[in-house]
Amino acid sequence: MNLAVLILLGLSAMSVVGLSLLMGYAGQVSLGQASFYAIGAYTAGLLALHGVPTVVGLLAAPIVSALTAVLVGVPTLRLRGPQLAFATLALQLILLSVLGDADWAGGAIGLQGLPYLSVGGFELDQDFEYALLVLAGVVLVSVIARNLVRSRVGRGLRALATGEMAAAASGVPVGAYRLMVFGVSAAFAGLAGGIYAFYLGYLAPGSFPVLLSIEYVVMAVVGGIGSIGGALAGAALITVLVRLLTTLATQPGMPSYAPSVLSYAVYALLLIAIVLFVPDGIVPTLRRRSSWLASRRLWPPFRSPSRSSSAPRSTLRPSPPQPSPPQPSAPQPSAPQPSAPQPSRAQPSVARQLSPRGGSAASSSPAPPAPAAPSSPTTPERSPTAPPGSPTSPGTGTAP
Amino acid sequence: MGDLVQYLVTGVGIGCAYALTGSGLVVIYRVTRVVNFAQGSFAVLSALTVTTLLAAGLPHGLAEAIAVLLGGGVGALTGLVAIGKPGTTPQSALIVTLGLGVLAYAIEILLWGDQPRSFGGLSGSVTIFGARIQTHYLLIIGVTAVVLAGAAALFARTDLGRALTATAADPYAARVVGIDVLRMGLLAFAVGGALGGLAGVLVTPVQQVSFDSDVALVVNGFSAAILGNLTRPALTLAGGLLLGVVQALVGGYLSTAYQTEVALLFMLAVLIARAGRRDVVEAA
Repeated sequence: MNLAVLILLGLSAMSVVGLSLLMGYAGQVSLGQASFYAIGAYTAGLLALHGVPTVVGLLAAPIVSALTAVLVGVPTLRLRGPQLAFATLALQLILLSVLGDADWAGGAIGLQGLPYLSVGGFELDQDFEYALLVLAGVVLVSVIARNLVRSRVGRGLRALATGEMAAAASGVPVGAYRLMVFGVSAAFAGLAGGIYAFYLGYLAPGSFPVLLSIEYVVMAVVGGIGSIGGALAGAALITVLVRLLTTLATQPGMPSYAPSVLSYAVYALLLIAIVLFVPDGIVPTLRRRSSWLASRRLWPPFRSPSRSSSAPRSTLRPSPPQPSPPQPSAPQPSAPQPSAPQPSRAQPSVARQLSPRGGSAASSSPAPPAPAAPSSPTTPERSPTAPPGSPTSPGTGTAP
Repeated sequence: MGDLVQYLVTGVGIGCAYALTGSGLVVIYRVTRVVNFAQGSFAVLSALTVTTLLAAGLPHGLAEAIAVLLGGGVGALTGLVAIGKPGTTPQSALIVTLGLGVLAYAIEILLWGDQPRSFGGLSGSVTIFGARIQTHYLLIIGVTAVVLAGAAALFARTDLGRALTATAADPYAARVVGIDVLRMGLLAFAVGGALGGLAGVLVTPVQQVSFDSDVALVVNGFSAAILGNLTRPALTLAGGLLLGVVQALVGGYLSTAYQTEVALLFMLAVLIARAGRRDVVEAA
């Protein structure tokens, strides 16, 4: 496992977060996510070759991708389900065909000799620096995606995903929101593409096959559609798995076609198995299971309100997950009596008032969505440590 | 004049393959509401099987027939995976068929390698209106006409066809009158697989086939089928022929580089023009 793999993993993760958002919240299957990756990469590459500072190219990559998506999305997002899948696939085939024939894009050979990314005279020419850049990109993308999901727009999108007509009737601007998610998901892929262009130094239409789009779909579905943690976990799992199999398949004695056969087989079998047997994806399923375990071990009377949807949303901002001792105790007096003594704190701590478990509920419920897969299995371990504090806190709360 | 006729005939020939692939999609979609993404794989699998069977010394005709039957069998298996598990939604089934298409890549590369392959078709050529035309194109057109007419008769005239149509119209009512809906779905997948296999077997002598040819085939087949809203076989045939002819004309008079774009833009235009209409929303 070297840095190059990690960088490619991170780039995939950025694209997959966007795709997962699109599939999970706008209910659209896109088989053309790699085309926005390609557009971002070519934007950055072409600008760099024409003497534009590389940072500008990197910033332009997501913008151009998003604009293209919006332009393309106006007509195509009226399509549903399989139609959109084929339309996005068609768009990618068109893009590949155009890029392959275009002299300005280097044709089938592509763009070569791209400079390294340089920020204010500092040139990123080490794998390690790109790894950090990609990490920053993944964090940025995840934060944007999470904020989008938890905003008013996100609630509208969730309504949209459950029932389009009902959402429209409730005043959700269906078309505009859908277009926005499409644009945002394209911007994520475009940013990843921009980094890819500077990291690798050359681009060709062959680097963005249809199969890459399918790979993104596999990652999103395996991890869990609509879950940011799932997107990251899916990208990580598939990349690592394919990497391991490639290493295995390039051992001496293996036939030359072994790597492609094995990776295709893994994509296919994982995709089919997950869709049929774990339809929600790995991360949401694990999370549900862990919260189910946690709820069994916790004090029964207090478990249902804590998992109401309002809990993670408002408690997300105080990011340190471990509740400091004064924090749970401060809102505790307000838990039994809604008339909080501190009106200034009342608004942000709504969820803590709702959940008598206090800070423990707040820390355990937003934890799973945050980072990648490893966090969700830790949830059941963290939750049992919480109740010792929580049963006592209502006691102290009711005493005064 | 000679050029034009030649483009028209080759276009119709290739269009027949699109129409067959599209008809397979339509048969499957009507009965199961699943858009079968693996439809192109049936064609590729069957075509590659023919190359092996011919190399093994089987005569023409028999090899093709076996390959088409194999396509049907693979279609039924695809259906079993895609809709066999109760509660699988059409959207999940679409993704499952996508996975099966990728699985087909693995199998094809394993068995046949990743280089394009072909086999000889009907040799010789005839001259029509001053245009020399490979006889094989006429074979493609003839076989497609017979098979699609046969399929239409199957759906309209036989009990089995009526059962399929009933399932397509209303699965619940079909179940009430004693039709096994799942079996009908699998049967539809088998018919779709055989149609797809036939498309591959027919077109390979004039167009090489490699493991990833299925994307172009399924996209073109879908383009043809979407003209008929994925439910009307006659419009699918018309769409396939139109697509083939337009591609041949563009390739002949402008540049072969634009062929793909034309087909895809045609599909997008039809899709978008249809999207505003009520029936599409319900169908999707």
